[in-house]
This record gives sequence, C-alpha cells and structure tokens, in this order.
Amino acid sequence: MSKKLSALTMMLIVLFSSVFFLTSCKGKEEKPAEPIKFGGIWPLGDITGDQAAKAAQLVVDELNANGGLMGRPVELIVIDSELNPEKGAAAVERLATVEKVDFFVGGMSSGVHLGQIPALKKYKKVTMWTGAASSTAETAVGEGQDWYFHLHPWDYNQGNSYVEGWDDIAAKFSNISIDRWFLAYEEGPFGSASFAATQTLFSDMEIDGEAFQSAALGGGDYTAVLQRAKDYNPDVFIWAGYAADALPIMEQAKAVNFTPPLFIGAPPGWPSDFGDSALAENVTLYGMWAPSISKVSAVSKKFQDAYEAKYGETPATYFAPLGYTSIEIIAKAVEAAGSVETEAVIKALKAIQYESPLGETISFSPSNVISNQGFRNQKILQWQNGNQEVIWPFEFATAEPAYPFTR
Amino acid sequence: MNSTVQKNKTWPVIFGILGVIVMILPFFSGPYIQSIGRTVITYMILAISWDMLIRSGQLSFGLAGFFGLGSYAAVLSAVNLHFNPFISIVFAALVAGLIAFLVGAVVLRLRGMYFAITTLALGEIFRIIIHNWTSLTGGPNGKLLPKLAFDGASIPTYAMMVLFALIIIALSEYFKRSRIHYALTAIRDNEIVAKSSGINIYKYLLIAFTVTAAIQGAAGAGFAQLYGFVTPESSFNANYTLIPLAMTLLGGMYSTWGPVIGAVLLGVLGEFLKLYIPYGHLVVYGIIIILVLLFMPWGIVGMAGRLLKKGESHE
Repeated sequence: MSKKLSALTMMLIVLFSSVFFLTSCKGKEEKPAEPIKFGGIWPLGDITGDQAAKAAQLVVDELNANGGLMGRPVELIVIDSELNPEKGAAAVERLATVEKVDFFVGGMSSGVHLGQIPALKKYKKVTMWTGAASSTAETAVGEGQDWYFHLHPWDYNQGNSYVEGWDDIAAKFSNISIDRWFLAYEEGPFGSASFAATQTLFSDMEIDGEAFQSAALGGGDYTAVLQRAKDYNPDVFIWAGYAADALPIMEQAKAVNFTPPLFIGAPPGWPSDFGDSALAENVTLYGMWAPSISKVSAVSKKFQDAYEAKYGETPATYFAPLGYTSIEIIAKAVEAAGSVETEAVIKALKAIQYESPLGETISFSPSNVISNQGFRNQKILQWQNGNQEVIWPFEFATAEPAYPFTR
Repeated sequence: MNSTVQKNKTWPVIFGILGVIVMILPFFSGPYIQSIGRTVITYMILAISWDMLIRSGQLSFGLAGFFGLGSYAAVLSAVNLHFNPFISIVFAALVAGLIAFLVGAVVLRLRGMYFAITTLALGEIFRIIIHNWTSLTGGPNGKLLPKLAFDGASIPTYAMMVLFALIIIALSEYFKRSRIHYALTAIRDNEIVAKSSGINIYKYLLIAFTVTAAIQGAAGAGFAQLYGFVTPESSFNANYTLIPLAMTLLGGMYSTWGPVIGAVLLGVLGEFLKLYIPYGHLVVYGIIIILVLLFMPWGIVGMAGRLLKKGESHE
C-alpha cells in the first residue's frame, strides 16, 4: 500500500512538473511583447480634446501598422479630464499607477493643468503637454524638471508673436495701419486678461476697450460696445469672447454699420460652421494651424489626409495636429534612443529636430522657467472664401491679407 | 415597539460600519482611489454643510462663493503669513465664517427665493472682487502654494480628508441632536409658530449660516492644500454648488447620512462611467440624476426610511 502510494505520489509529481514545464515553456514562447503605453488626458466633451485624442490615436495606429516601436506594440489610453482639475489629477494617478503608462500626453485648459502638476511631479515620467498657455502653470512646474516638455506657446510667447506679426504685416503692407486699437472683451477672466495683455504688449499704441457679457454666459447684446468702438474709429478692432459670440457680434456689427479696417476675433475656438457664413469673410483670427497650411507643408498635408481618411472629417482645431505631434515626437525620440528609459528619451527629445504637422520644424529649448519649450508662435489667419488662410508668418502664408475689412 | 427601537438602533450601526469600510478601503487601494476618495470627501463635506442649512428651510446657492473664499484665504495666508497647512485651513474657516456672519446679519432677513438668489449673487461678488484685486490675489492668473500639505503624499492627504469628514459628520450629528436642530426644524415647518414659541429665529439662522459657511471655507482651503493653486475660474466654479446639491438630493435631505451616501454614490458612479463610457458619460450621469430625482424625490435615505416604516407597520 505504501509502495503504491509512493508510486502514485511520484507519478503525480512527474505529471504536475511536466504540465508546469510545458505551460511555462509555452507561456515564454507565446507571451506577446509588452506594449509601450501612452497615457492621454484631454477634455473629450470639447472639440479641442476630442480632436486631439483622435489625432493621437491616429499616430498610434500608424505606428502599429508599421510594426510598433522597437518591435513592441503601442497603446494609447485616454481619460477625459472633464475640464476639472480634480478629475484631471485623478486621471494622472490612474494612468501612472493602474495603467502604468510610460509617457504622459494631453492637456488643454491651464486651470486643469494647475491641478495636475503636483501629481505629474510625483511620477516624473516624460510628459508632452499640448495645452495650458498660462505662465502660472509654467511657474508651477518650476525649474529643473527635465521630464516636462511643453508644446503649446505660453501666454507671453503668444503675445510677443502677435506684436511681431502685426509689426511685420504693417512693415510689408504700407497701406495697413495698426496705430489705434479697440478691444471689446467678455467681462470674465479670459476677456479681462486679454485686455490687460493687449494694453501691455501694444503700449506704444493708442488702445481703448470695453467689456461685454458673452452670449455663452447669458449676454449677447454687443450694440453699445460696437457703437462706442465705431465712435472711437480704430484701425484695429478685436473682440475677445467665446465661440457663442462669433456670429452675433458679426451680425450686430453689420447692423450698426461698423466696418473697421481690421476686424479680429480672438476666441479660444470658433463655431465649426462659422466659415460657411458670409459674415466671416475677411475676419482675422489667431491660431497655430489651419487646413490651408497643407498647401505649403507636406507634413501638414500628410497628417490632414490621414485624419480625414480615418475619421471622415476635417480637423477644425489646432489641437488635432498638436495631439498628433505629442505622440509622434516621443515615438521618434524612443526610436532614436532605442529605449523607453526616461533619461534616454529625455536626451533624445532634447536633441530632436521635428518636422511638425503644424508647419514648423521644432526643437526644445528653455523658456522663462522650464527647460523644454516647443512652439513659441501663434499664426495670424484670415477667413477668405470660407477658409482660414495664413497671412503671417510669411513663410507659411497661403494668402495676402484682405484689407480693408469690407462686407 | 421593542423591535422598532432595536431596528432604529441597528440601521445607524450598519450605516456606520459600511461608512468606516468605505473610508478605510482606499488606504489599501493606491493613489488613484485615494485621489478619487479625496474628491468625494470634498463634495461630501459641502453636501453635508448645505444640508445643515436647508434643515432650516433656507436654500443657499452660496457654496461655491464660500468655497472659493476659503481656498483664497488658505493660499494667501500660507504665502504671505507663512501659515502651515492646518493653521491655514482653520484660518480659512474663520475668514469664511466671519464674512458669513457679517453678510448673514443683513441677508438673513430674506426668505425663500430672495435669500437663494442673494447667496448666488454673493458668490459672484466674491469672485469679481478676487478677480480684480490683482495685487493681492494674482487676478485672473491666481496664486500658487509654495508647498502642499504633506508634500502632496497620497496616504497622509487622504487621511487628512477622512479626519475632516469625520469631524463634519460629527458636527452635523451634533446639530441634529442639539436644540439648534429643533429650532431650525420649527423654523422650516412654520416660522410664525416657531417665533410665537419663543424661538429666536434670526439667532439660529445666523448660527447655521455662519457655521456652514465656515465648513465650506475649510473645504475650499483643503482643496487648495491638495492641489496647490487657486484661480477665480477654478475656485469659484459653479460645480461646487451644483454637485453637492445633486448629491444631497440623491442621498436624501434633512439628515447627515443622505449627503454622505449621495456623495459616495455619485462620486464613484461618475468616475466609473467615465472609464467605461469615455464619450458621453456626462449625458448618462445627467440622465441617472434626473431619473433618481423623478422617481426617488425623498432620496435614498428617505426612501429607505419609508420602506422600513412600511415593513414595521405590517409587522
């Protein structure tokens, strides 16, 4: 009995050992390569975040179609920030500790980013940020954070580029005058900050302004402000409000017969159908990208064609090419470094010369506080025949400025 | 009768045990769950404070105003007076409480919608002052904290918020058991009868308004200490008024446990929906709130209480 028991025990040991050995061998043979993970955080309910996330997924699909990165598949996990600092910070925690991503990408609002910065600093993973223009966010990141890469221009970069742009335009086109400015601004933080920044940046010019209540916040009557602007007779009229103000302000300007030589709109985003309106013609705007750039940039065209083929829509905001850039630039650095190790990727990113779909070839260099700033310029665009045409910088210009603004 | 008494004692014990488990679990679940836990607790504290005032029948929309005021008081005291995080939270509560006392002395003469609209306007007035007082508050760009509470470490900050929640739950329960509760309930039920019974309506309303504003200010200070910044846009966000209201309505008004349950359910549900329905989760979230309010107007605690009473009457 005891012999039988010993034999049975031996047989069971051999059987289990064989099964374990075979299973472990099989496991080793079939275990797929671990994916390289990107964690994206954008506001998916907003067109900027929605299109940035879609463009980021487009790069990931392209990389995987070409065999992945270093032979490993690439994965993008996107979490909605809901334009809420707490949710944005929780998303960083989840991506770092639950999803265990290798890199962070994303970003739109400065307020959300301020809430995320303490969590990002905790993990110090390579971070490629597409949003947050407020220099307060730059101060919050602080000096010596080599893992932090910022693509979007800071507010002072943007302001400086507007001054440079208008000076260049006025110098090149002698008929364009920019000495007298009037700013109509929504009475909230965004509009007030725009007015304060304009006063500082264009301090050598005559500037006046008046606040209005945005249609997005229950307002929508701009006639008093427009009448005052008309009486002031400015060379340049700018309104700083939201997308909801875009069409009503044009209609009311037409009603009061206000036609300044330059009519500029500076909302964070435009209504998707604004270009379809006849009122949009010759309105000037700021942005980092427009589909028209594809006429002068092959990289932009490649991006736009791929985006349209995959999603059946034209990217309407510059956050789409920024989202694409955020992943592709890291992927190129990983290829150059031959590693996903933080130090190696940082070194490769610092050396990179990246041809972006936004037109420019960028490299990273220090800004006022951080070590790795990417883009520094906004572009000056103008609605012409339903399209946003680039009028400055001149190397990306797709049209000359239509001047003066007429109906 | 005996069984009723026994059941009345059993349910709070069950709620208490469940509550302790829910609060302790995140300690063992990693930084992500702790982060969600901190947010849920912040809204829970606001929801309880709102409920403490609505027990008097006074509907306040001023939560975001006092929350923002508290967050600024905490950051400015830490930056300019070098207060440590805990002193800055206490200071913020005192500032919010003092301002509520002064404002309440005037606006608590108002009732119903007039009071509600005034509190809504107060929040907006605070925001505009903060926004325009650039030399002190940083204006639209806000201010940064030089150092976070516990250097932002997950477990100690979560523990801090749990302790904060326990203090507010205890305070709310004290309110429910003290003479203030009877006074506030009497005011809500019939102000004229309450007055003729010798209740000093104005005094009790002022106490409730001051205490709840101090709690809201402390919650704002806690937020600032967790995330290290204040801006007018973020700190005075309407979410700090609307979400606690929805949580209280879901959990059930006029109790401590209603807002607690509502905050845990809506907080966890919101995060869960976001992970599984990345596009459109807010629509589903909104529909759930509407359905609950339509079919459970008394909230979860109110409905549970009614079901229990029904069961007892059948026995």
